[in-house]
Amino acid sequence: MRTVIKDIAKNKYLYLLLLPGLLWFVIYRYLPMFGLVIAFKEFHFSKGIFGGEWVGLKYFKFIFFEHRNFYQLVVNTLLINFYKLAFGFPIPIILALMLNEVRRRKLRSFMQTSIYLPHFVSWVIFGGIIVQFLSPSGGIVNQLIQWFGGEPIFFMASEEYFRSIVVISEIWKNAGWNTIIFLAAIVGVDPTLYEAARIDGAGKLRQIWHVTLPGISETIVVLLLLNIGILMTTGFDQIYVLYNPAVYSVGDVISTYVYRVGIGNGRFSLTTAIGLFQSVVGLFLIFTSNFMMRRLYGKSLW
Amino acid sequence: MQRRLTLGQAVNYAILLIFVFLCILPFYYVVVVSLSEPTLVKEGRITILPQGFSLRAYEIVLAQDRFFNAFQISTLRTAVGLVVSLFLQCTMAYALSRKALRGRKFFILFVVFTILFSAGIIPTYLVVRYTGIINTFWALIIPDAISAWNVLILLSFFSSIPDAIEESAKMDGANDFQVFWKLMIPLSIPAVSTIGLFIAVHHWNSLMDGIMYINKTSLKPLQVYLMDLVMRSEMTDMNANIDDQALPSLSIQTAAIFAATLPVLLVYPFIQRYFTKGIMLGAIKG
Repeated sequence: MRTVIKDIAKNKYLYLLLLPGLLWFVIYRYLPMFGLVIAFKEFHFSKGIFGGEWVGLKYFKFIFFEHRNFYQLVVNTLLINFYKLAFGFPIPIILALMLNEVRRRKLRSFMQTSIYLPHFVSWVIFGGIIVQFLSPSGGIVNQLIQWFGGEPIFFMASEEYFRSIVVISEIWKNAGWNTIIFLAAIVGVDPTLYEAARIDGAGKLRQIWHVTLPGISETIVVLLLLNIGILMTTGFDQIYVLYNPAVYSVGDVISTYVYRVGIGNGRFSLTTAIGLFQSVVGLFLIFTSNFMMRRLYGKSLW
Repeated sequence: MQRRLTLGQAVNYAILLIFVFLCILPFYYVVVVSLSEPTLVKEGRITILPQGFSLRAYEIVLAQDRFFNAFQISTLRTAVGLVVSLFLQCTMAYALSRKALRGRKFFILFVVFTILFSAGIIPTYLVVRYTGIINTFWALIIPDAISAWNVLILLSFFSSIPDAIEESAKMDGANDFQVFWKLMIPLSIPAVSTIGLFIAVHHWNSLMDGIMYINKTSLKPLQVYLMDLVMRSEMTDMNANIDDQALPSLSIQTAAIFAATLPVLLVYPFIQRYFTKGIMLGAIKG
């Protein structure tokens, strides 16, 4: 014990530097975890977190067996994220490989700069533009449809199209940014490996398959695992901006529901229970996929 | 150097250019519509090229008190948030990068765990409420002040600085704080600036905290104001008229969108400059 105190005293400035950030984590990340307890209680503001009667698994039983829309929420969350992953994960990789083949520096630089532009604006702005494009009266997409002789479609209010809009707009907005990340990894691959492959007679595609892709496989695995880990948590911003009551059945996800019903309608215990479920599943997902990755490919996050 | 374009290269260029076009299109569209003659916008006549020229939409948007107020709030929170976040994240990341820190591994795990598991929206909301910052300016700064990711990136960067530098400074009698402030930070300008840019953009674009924690109109950040304007078409108290005809909401919305995007576009070249160094850091993230 004495050596510990001596250590701290000797390095006191280090601990002082650590302290503000540490305090923040304790208050704004770990303290809320104690608040999770209200998922097992009947929470009332007047009684605070420690008041309120203990109801055990009441809310969990409710959400699994009686809640009309819970499974719909989970399905929406998982499906939307899954589509985003399935379509949105490979595209930046392919684009990065393509961009890597552009030799003219100025052209390449111009392309890089333009494609990550959408990433830097907010979903309010980008979503607003998407809504304008898809507007049934005067939006570009519907103008094109009418030009080809069709009837305008009210996309944003249609259950059929909503998920596709969410997935496509996500890719549109963020693929460019993710491309840059993969491009950085590609640039880091040892050029002599390409030489060796060329000498062995490998054409461009084979070079990509045997040199580039293995070379960036670590980056791919890390990003893939991280994305699987957040499969249960969709970004709130995008859905909140794009959705409306007409598409709740296909578009309402866990985070928007928790906000709307939890803070909006004050049903704290219920939505905390849902949130807890969400976080636990997320944890499970990332541990499992990490384990499987390690087993199958020998590469993992830890 | 091959002069002729192979088919493969041509296809490559074509696809890439289409994608580039798609990424620029939304912004082009916003500029075109917002600057076009509003009466023509109303008739839905605007497709690719602007028709007519009018600054009326901008005049109206920029005359709104609420727009300016929201703009101010966002600017303020970006400036203050930048300083607060950089301070908290750099100090912590630096301390965690020093091997002399006892319990270092534990603290790093402490930080990393929050990436894997979070308490969720409601419990965090309750803590924000119980710490008394709800519906105040600080609710826009503190709850989001530290990103564990940024700490890890900075940590990785600080760790890569050779030990010899710290050792020789210590031999000259510097303590840890002096080493940090006078030596490490100046050495880390590229990394810190890149993270700083990300923090700033994040603050400017932040929507969720403004919605969840703020009720007072006077404290609503820009994105919340825009949200009401663009997505919910709330323009009731705008004096949006031209020759006794109401201006089409599209003109007003695109003008507001562009006015809000302009700061990001202006900062964009700087993002470019620091970014090449920044992605390298990001790629080391693992």
